[in-house]
Amino acid sequence: MASALSEWVDKQISVITCDGRNIVGQLRGFDQVTNVILDECHERVFSMEAGVEQVVHGLYIIRGDNIAVIGELDAELDAKTDLDTVRAEPLKPVVH
Amino acid sequence: MFPLSLLTTAKGNPMLIELKNGDTYNGRLVNADSWMNISLQGVICTSKDGDRFWNIAECYIRGNSIKYLRIPDEIIDMVQEEEMPVKDKNKKSFSHRGRGGRVNTTGRGRGRGGRGGRRGEGRGNDGRGGPRGGAR
Repeated sequence: MASALSEWVDKQISVITCDGRNIVGQLRGFDQVTNVILDECHERVFSMEAGVEQVVHGLYIIRGDNIAVIGELDAELDAKTDLDTVRAEPLKPVVH
Repeated sequence: MFPLSLLTTAKGNPMLIELKNGDTYNGRLVNADSWMNISLQGVICTSKDGDRFWNIAECYIRGNSIKYLRIPDEIIDMVQEEEMPVKDKNKKSFSHRGRGGRVNTTGRGRGRGGRGGRRGEGRGNDGRGGPRGGAR
């Protein structure tokens, strides 16, 4: 378990944003207000019709306002998962 | 590394900014401040659904309204290059601080301070003639 983001620097993390997107990338930095630097990141787009689509994004700064959840990515589990077979309803945006 | 130092490093480079309302702004970063307020030049604004475009010569974006920024990959390497020399400089200037402890190994510097000095001298004295070093 991590009690702070610093334990995840340079590790693969998964960010769920307030608009319901899931972005996976390497955490390169963060600040007091949870603005986050994500390197080599991609978005995972879930749908019921097709497997998970991965959209490559590159280097991102995500503003803390827009972040709902951050978690460490389990590399082992991730490697085992065949994302093409995964069907899921896309997340709804956060209601303020 | 702080997100905002990455952002300031990216000055002069093209970037994409998505606002909370879904509009995106593509342009060259002119300036960014500590609130993430940003000024861009040579901007193409795209509506949320991507069906309308606006050409804007120059614009200012309030940091508050930003969802995320996409910046060129190579910028992240430039930050480290710029951060390290600053650290070194600090260290160097620190080592130049203070006096003494170099030539004489007693740890007392030449000059002022220590005991002695001007103790007991009256105000009317012209200030000369007191012992110079730590008196011993």
